[in-house]
Amino acid sequence: MKDKLMKIIDKIIVGFKKSFLDIKANLTNESKNVTRKRKFKTITLVTVRLVLLIGLSFVILFPTIQQILMALRAPEDVNNPAVIWIPENWSIMNLRLAAIVLDYRNALVNTFKVSAIAMFLQLASTALAGYAFSRLRFRGSNIIFLFVIITIVVPPQALSLSQYLYFRDLGLIGRESSIYLMSGLGMGIRSGIFIYIFRSFFKGLPKELEESAQIDGAGVFRTFRSVMLPNARGALVTVGLFAFVWQWNDAYFVNIFEVSTADFPLLTMRLINAAENVYAALFYTGGLSLIGQDVWENPVFLALISNVAALLMMLPLLIMYLFVQKQFVESIERTGIVG
Amino acid sequence: MQKEKRQYIKKQERFPYYYLDLGVPYKTQRIIWAFIFLAPWITGFLLLFLVPMVNTLRYSFFELTPRAGEIITEFIGFDNYVYAWNTHVTSDSSFRIELLETTTDVLFNLPVLLIFSLFIAVMLNMEFRGRAIVRAIFFVPVILNSAAVATAVGGGEAINEILAQQGIDQIFDLEFYLIQAEVPEFLVGFIVDLIDRIYAILALAGVPILLFLASIQSIPRHLYEAAKIEGATSYEMFWLITLPNVTPHMITVTVYALVDTFLTSSVSNIITTELNRQNWGLSSAMAWIYVGTVFVMLIFIALLAKGFKIGDSHYEG
Repeated sequence: MKDKLMKIIDKIIVGFKKSFLDIKANLTNESKNVTRKRKFKTITLVTVRLVLLIGLSFVILFPTIQQILMALRAPEDVNNPAVIWIPENWSIMNLRLAAIVLDYRNALVNTFKVSAIAMFLQLASTALAGYAFSRLRFRGSNIIFLFVIITIVVPPQALSLSQYLYFRDLGLIGRESSIYLMSGLGMGIRSGIFIYIFRSFFKGLPKELEESAQIDGAGVFRTFRSVMLPNARGALVTVGLFAFVWQWNDAYFVNIFEVSTADFPLLTMRLINAAENVYAALFYTGGLSLIGQDVWENPVFLALISNVAALLMMLPLLIMYLFVQKQFVESIERTGIVG
Repeated sequence: MQKEKRQYIKKQERFPYYYLDLGVPYKTQRIIWAFIFLAPWITGFLLLFLVPMVNTLRYSFFELTPRAGEIITEFIGFDNYVYAWNTHVTSDSSFRIELLETTTDVLFNLPVLLIFSLFIAVMLNMEFRGRAIVRAIFFVPVILNSAAVATAVGGGEAINEILAQQGIDQIFDLEFYLIQAEVPEFLVGFIVDLIDRIYAILALAGVPILLFLASIQSIPRHLYEAAKIEGATSYEMFWLITLPNVTPHMITVTVYALVDTFLTSSVSNIITTELNRQNWGLSSAMAWIYVGTVFVMLIFIALLAKGFKIGDSHYEG
């Protein structure tokens, strides 16, 4: 009996010893250590990345989510203390009212049109200028580039008075073409910075690309269009995105040149006008008839409507960006020069 | 031979601009094309920028008073500049104080912003699930960063009011927890301040992140492949490939961030206010002081970059 017990204990001890040695051998095994180390590194990296990105995304999204949930409350529930996050009575009434205030359908179409046209004009004028400053240099081009930097630095307010008088003489005040003229001549919203971006991207492209195109018999324009431009796709997408978004959000030039009118509403101006006096905006657009007096006398409700209108203005941009971001593809293949 | 020539001429008729060689050497062609490429910008610069700028410079030395149908001008020398610098006050501040404050703020914030946005851009360039969504999220501040939205939201006052009525000011009171956890007091202040400013930094970093992302993605991939074969770690690859390739764009980002901070600062607001009050001479003088300040800082940055040899493309050389 005792013998048997001892034997079992021995067996257990031997088993332990064996597994201990196994573990020891495993831990001292070089190649396994390397894989373990690598695994550990990746896991830490992934965890740190996950925590950081989730945390920052939360910080960014929190106010927006709050706004969306607020927007979906029934107007009667605005001050309801029982409703904190999830609306008790879901309703798109707030959205409908905000859309009425903004004249949403017309304003959206107009804003889209103006932003898209201005974007293409800006892309054309700034890409050409950026290319000339980086690749087609001549004596004095650096001095001319200094003027680009001056256009970046000088604030638009400093120029607006004379620009207004100038455009008034041309009869362009109150017309969208004033915006197009500015964009097409490389003086649109932050065009200087766009020229700068294009210049530094074209500068980064290897000289061999240009030389091989030249040897193949391409002229200067052909080299630009067929070789350099496709290689600067990252810059094109980035600049196009900024140009579009900034034109969409622009309230300054649109205001000075009085582009937004009753016949040609733009989102930003409608939004600013509505935010200044939500009640009047609701009154003139007939939104008041959709809700009760107890609701529209509530100042918090009126503020909420202007919030929802802001949400409506930026929502299309977000949705569009989700599609565009695929264009930020992995690095562009540089066929021909890879040895 | 003949046939080829005919084809060439045919092509030339169809796309004359492709073959604009004019019988001059390539070098001269390049200069001609440079001016063709620059033509729209130069036109715009001369008509829409230089003329208004000279006008603004002139205004800054005049006292402009609007009368019925015309503007009366009176030369007053440097009085506008002196007034802007010495006597100008707003309800709670002055032009000089705001200008100096913005300048120091920028000097402290720029390095933080650069490092932070490069870090995030490198992270967003990695491959992981849900990358598209995260990239979209980091773009949200760029969209929100608009004057119109800011006016409508009013700093989120409406929502804060609603939440305050319901007794939830914040999700949790960080300061309270930290003090409870017996964290030293100066550290508490620092952490809370940092967390408060995260959103501001993120809002400003939106554009730099995208610029860095685009520049990282224009790095030829074969460099990384070669490095991987040589056995480089991702850490080494960052320092030896990513960073040198991104530095030329660092200047772009710095210039953007500097100008953007000034454009959205209270200094710029003061200029707009004076402009709207029809103090055209004064606002022009202020604008020139502002431009001078930014320019001095740009020169400072350019010298610094030259000293550290940042910004030279390593393809040139």
